[in-house]
Amino acid sequence: MGRQVAIVSAGFSEHASKRSDVSMPELINEAITDCLKNAPSVGFEDIDAYVNGNMPAFEGANIPELWMTDWMGARNKPLLRVTTGGTTGGTVAIAGYYTVTSGIPGVDTVLAVAFEQQSQGDTSVGLASVAYGEISILNTLGISFDQLSRLLSAGAAIGVAAYQATTYMRKTHITEEDLARVVVQNRRNAAKTWWTHLKMPDLTIEDVLDTPYVQYPLRYGMVCPASDGAVAMLFTTEEKAKDMCDIPVYVNGVASVANETAVLGYDGSGSAQLDPSMQLGAMRSSELAYSQAGISFPRKEIDYAEVYSPFPNQELMWVEKLGLFEETTAPQMYQTGVTALNGELPINCSGGVNATNAIGASAMERPAEAALQIMGKADNQVPKTVHTSIGHGWGGSLNLCTLMVMSDEPQRKWR
Amino acid sequence: MSKMTQRKSLDYIKKDYIKTRTMPGSWYLTSYKFKFNITHMQPFLEKLKEKKLVGNQCSGCNRVFFPPRLVCGKCMLKPDKWIDIRDTAKVSTYAIAFLKDKETGEIQERPMVLVHHDGADTASIAELHPDVDVKDTYVGMPIKAHWRDEVTGGLMDIEYYDPFEDDAKDIEEKE
Repeated sequence: MGRQVAIVSAGFSEHASKRSDVSMPELINEAITDCLKNAPSVGFEDIDAYVNGNMPAFEGANIPELWMTDWMGARNKPLLRVTTGGTTGGTVAIAGYYTVTSGIPGVDTVLAVAFEQQSQGDTSVGLASVAYGEISILNTLGISFDQLSRLLSAGAAIGVAAYQATTYMRKTHITEEDLARVVVQNRRNAAKTWWTHLKMPDLTIEDVLDTPYVQYPLRYGMVCPASDGAVAMLFTTEEKAKDMCDIPVYVNGVASVANETAVLGYDGSGSAQLDPSMQLGAMRSSELAYSQAGISFPRKEIDYAEVYSPFPNQELMWVEKLGLFEETTAPQMYQTGVTALNGELPINCSGGVNATNAIGASAMERPAEAALQIMGKADNQVPKTVHTSIGHGWGGSLNLCTLMVMSDEPQRKWR
Repeated sequence: MSKMTQRKSLDYIKKDYIKTRTMPGSWYLTSYKFKFNITHMQPFLEKLKEKKLVGNQCSGCNRVFFPPRLVCGKCMLKPDKWIDIRDTAKVSTYAIAFLKDKETGEIQERPMVLVHHDGADTASIAELHPDVDVKDTYVGMPIKAHWRDEVTGGLMDIEYYDPFEDDAKDIEEKE
């Protein structure tokens, strides 16, 4: 078994739709500076290795990690780039965990950085290059690209999320009002956190339902923004963590599981998963991560959850699939305020991906925020004491789920 | 509604940063001709010319793939058995797209569906008949393939799907 890993600190850059005041390296430098500010005893000389990642091709720039080494302080140090599409952030965090837990001599402290500056490039071009592997095979069946873009419909990820939303709404018999309620909770929470993008403190359900459809059943007001931003996390060993900060957050379980794609399937030949909201990958990844962390009753043992939810129906879907609530009961939980800041199980108190979506960074902002909640340093701090929290990510070719379980106590020794 | 008014209606205030220099630039990616291997689906493409549908079955897990697949992802076997599939199907899930006509500028409401053919275990993407009222679409709706007059041996020979009354007794509804 590897070494126990702890998170010492996490930092964010400011997020906005267009960070035209900074370049890509300056943006990640902002996040790293904020990260090191939270752990004053750590300097660049203490960091032994770096993990870095962003969504490929979204900025139209390849190998960005190599021309920003100096801005990260990574000169003459081991550097690794990981990228898995939408889950890039989650995978970067997991890679940081792996680097520390493997016990390489001389590598104890690892800085993980994930970033995205979408305003510099064309998101549609980037998405086309990512999705191409999956959809190209449909060309063999005689469906041309023009036809394909119509079938998958404009709006990229939303085309798939709308399919998920329809089946989820059919299963749980909810209306658009229930979806809007999730959005309202997220964006009001985001207004209380300094680094978020869409801050809307006075948003109401009526405001959201007043906006036009992007694709039924998702409206303009429900859809995540496209942000520029970066996030950094500092991983180290159990022994060093105690010197570096007051409350180290221990990483007790990680998982990254891919399942059959929910819409197109392998080779574009259709999926055997007829229900896109089934998400067996999420269930399997939660099973793996919880068993590593020794969590048998996730509903009782987890105090705080950050889930990856660009669209409100996904937030409802994930909290059920990750075992936080019973199947089909999530909409009631949002209605009764269980998931609010003062509730029993607060979810996405930073506003989640619905309020801030710098794609490459999004999935890492989830464990970062969940760790800050345990440390008690989050902006929108949960009033109750958080002992165990989870950070979830979703992406890849719509089928990859990453999960990180964090706690204020080290992993149970019996494992 | 334009994006600007949209933002105002949602109380979103755009932040102002001191701008750096903006330089014009463009990125043109050249056009390609993609080539694909269609050897493994030759029987499927030939049957399409006769307006018939076939899928292939994995001998390991007995799943029927429509459209055919080279390798079964579960068993890592090559599905080799060809199975006839009905042209009736069910709506597995749907979403309504709002598409702008390039010439007239009209916005059309079109239900985009995942169809689950009777006899197959997989779903594939397709369109419904343009005259179908989008409000009448639902998950599990019985539909039937509508073929083009001139078939060319591609999946696009199915122009769209028509809704129909499903009175067949032998097809059990899948949960």
